[in-house]
Amino acid sequence: MLLCVALTLAVAGTAPVAQGPSPAPITIVSPQGRRSLTVTTVNGGDYLSLDDVAAALGLTLRDDRVTGTTTVAAGGRSAVLTPERNVVSAQGRLVSLAAPPLRQDGRLVVTPEFVTRVVGVLLDRRVDFRRAGRLFVIGDLRVPRVVVRGEFAASAAQVTFEIAPATEPTVTRTGSELVVTFAADAVDAAVPTVPANPLLQGIRQGDGASLVLATGPRFQSHRATVQPIDAGTTRLVIDLLAAGAETLTPAAPAPPPPAPPAAGAGDPGPAPSLPPPGGFRTIVIDPGHGGEANGTEGPGGTLEKTVTLQVSRRLKALLEGRLGLRVILTREDDRTLDQDARAAIGNNNRADLFVSIHANAAVRPTVKGAEVYYLSVDRASLESRRAIQQPDEPLPQLGGGTRAIELILWETAQLRHLEQSATFAALIESALRGKVEMSPRPVQQAPFRVLVGANMPAVLVEIGYLSNPDEEKALTSAAHQDKVALAVFEAIAAFRGRLEKPAQ
Amino acid sequence: MTPRRAATLVAAGALVVGLGWLMFSFLERRLSAPTPDAEPVAPVAETPAAVGPHIAAMLYFVSEDGTLLEGRSMDVPLRDSPAAQARALIEAQLAATPPEPLTRAVPEGVSVRGVFLTGRDDAYVDLDGTFVSALPGGSHNELMATYAIVSVLTTNLTPVARVQILIDGREVETLTGHVDLREPLRKNEGLIRVP
Repeated sequence: MLLCVALTLAVAGTAPVAQGPSPAPITIVSPQGRRSLTVTTVNGGDYLSLDDVAAALGLTLRDDRVTGTTTVAAGGRSAVLTPERNVVSAQGRLVSLAAPPLRQDGRLVVTPEFVTRVVGVLLDRRVDFRRAGRLFVIGDLRVPRVVVRGEFAASAAQVTFEIAPATEPTVTRTGSELVVTFAADAVDAAVPTVPANPLLQGIRQGDGASLVLATGPRFQSHRATVQPIDAGTTRLVIDLLAAGAETLTPAAPAPPPPAPPAAGAGDPGPAPSLPPPGGFRTIVIDPGHGGEANGTEGPGGTLEKTVTLQVSRRLKALLEGRLGLRVILTREDDRTLDQDARAAIGNNNRADLFVSIHANAAVRPTVKGAEVYYLSVDRASLESRRAIQQPDEPLPQLGGGTRAIELILWETAQLRHLEQSATFAALIESALRGKVEMSPRPVQQAPFRVLVGANMPAVLVEIGYLSNPDEEKALTSAAHQDKVALAVFEAIAAFRGRLEKPAQ
Repeated sequence: MTPRRAATLVAAGALVVGLGWLMFSFLERRLSAPTPDAEPVAPVAETPAAVGPHIAAMLYFVSEDGTLLEGRSMDVPLRDSPAAQARALIEAQLAATPPEPLTRAVPEGVSVRGVFLTGRDDAYVDLDGTFVSALPGGSHNELMATYAIVSVLTTNLTPVARVQILIDGREVETLTGHVDLREPLRKNEGLIRVP
């Protein structure tokens, strides 16, 4: 086996692109074409010239010197804004913005939120801001989201593209470049930075809906494999090979096999024996924080991100070894991972359970004990509840006819699983109680970000308080970590037993 | 004016200033010196509430056992509009010294950049980045800090039902990786100790 240096390049949907003196431009994609907008950083946030936005989208601007307001109009619709004010009147409706329009060097600048919430009203069309790819998508265009990851070794490299919704990619070689073209109007992908290696120099956005891989001096050939992950996601794997090199993973058969649940970024390989399809088979474990996000730190210097990864690895070993389940860690090492990307790994792999492992902290060092959380429904509006009850959407499919596609809003994905999440949380609490100290409030609900988009029963386990010196010491010991992992393992086994129990 | 007369005037002026300084120093020592039989003074919010009209508002701190928020009534300056009152409440919450045996729920040194109310019962509280950088991590600390801010407005300002926290003028996903701040939050009674 090759000694690989595995690196996650970047994940679409990660935190906004780092702000610097010259932030990356934002592109408007509309049925009329593409237009790039220069971005200015003000107070650490992205701002766009309103003149540029107006020119790109056919808006008219009129300043009223008496009132100090500016009217933005399009097609008989209008909005009135006042610089430095967060509230904008759009078609008679007040829109509250997180950051106000500003005057900057004599010109009006607005945030991307202004474009989506105010300009969308004026155009009477849906305007989406795709933060990862820095795109405004106007109207109903096909703009798949692409998550790019890479692994590099001395004589081989592998780049993986996960494309959702499923979109056919084609790979063509042009000189020293590989061009990945997607059958779409544009592509929403954060272009990652590639670490120094002899096979791949970099990845960049190409023309239209394409990404370009600039190959390195040792590159000789490539092999591309397309696999459907599920009804909504396609995976493209490109192996970049040097002369006489072995691949990072065994060659995929061609044509690809019918869609087995595909491995995520952290998937080390198949489990020893998989249960029959359709049963309870895949668990995603999410070691909290990682990379730049240390999480909390104990008085003895223990980092939350380290403890959560250690416990997650122990839990994974138990589940694979004793239950034969397919277990995926959202991160296998110390890397930064976006909250949505964590849930996405669960969703893309059709996981049956999502368990996020964290360690806690309190201002009083006496606070201690483990806690289990599932999502609180405080934020769920009636509209979103109605949305999850909508029937499947019939969509046309290749070759004629239609196919019912289950549509689930990311923001409401967890709501349909709350009852099972609560059941699972209670099972974990019960299993932990016999092995480790529990908090006085052992099961709670909270609006935790990582749970929102998980389309399966999901919980967040706080395995103890690192701010408590005794618990910090315990949490770093192998014996205590084994106890925690065993308790969660038992809860998962019990939960599986309930689901697979035949109806009486 | 002759040189002698000018010198006399300067000397007289210096004498007056010196006597004034001595008197001020004496009075300051007298007023600030503790008296043996003085009653202990209960900690109060470090706000300018003592000057001008004020309201008794519920501010939130971490309970003695560290597990929940606990409210305490404190004086907060009365303001002439809901938005100004909301800002005064947030400033008081951030500045207040917790009465024993409670502890702070929010980090020290946080500045309020703005507080905005909408017509939809929502409030937006824009805090500076210290609110994130000074928070020591852990979902419990994050819940305490977040819901102290949410609770101080939803409890004391009737029209406010939901609160969204912004950092440096921008919407954020979380403070330290846990609580979803992309939408306004309602008060969480489960996190507040009932007296």
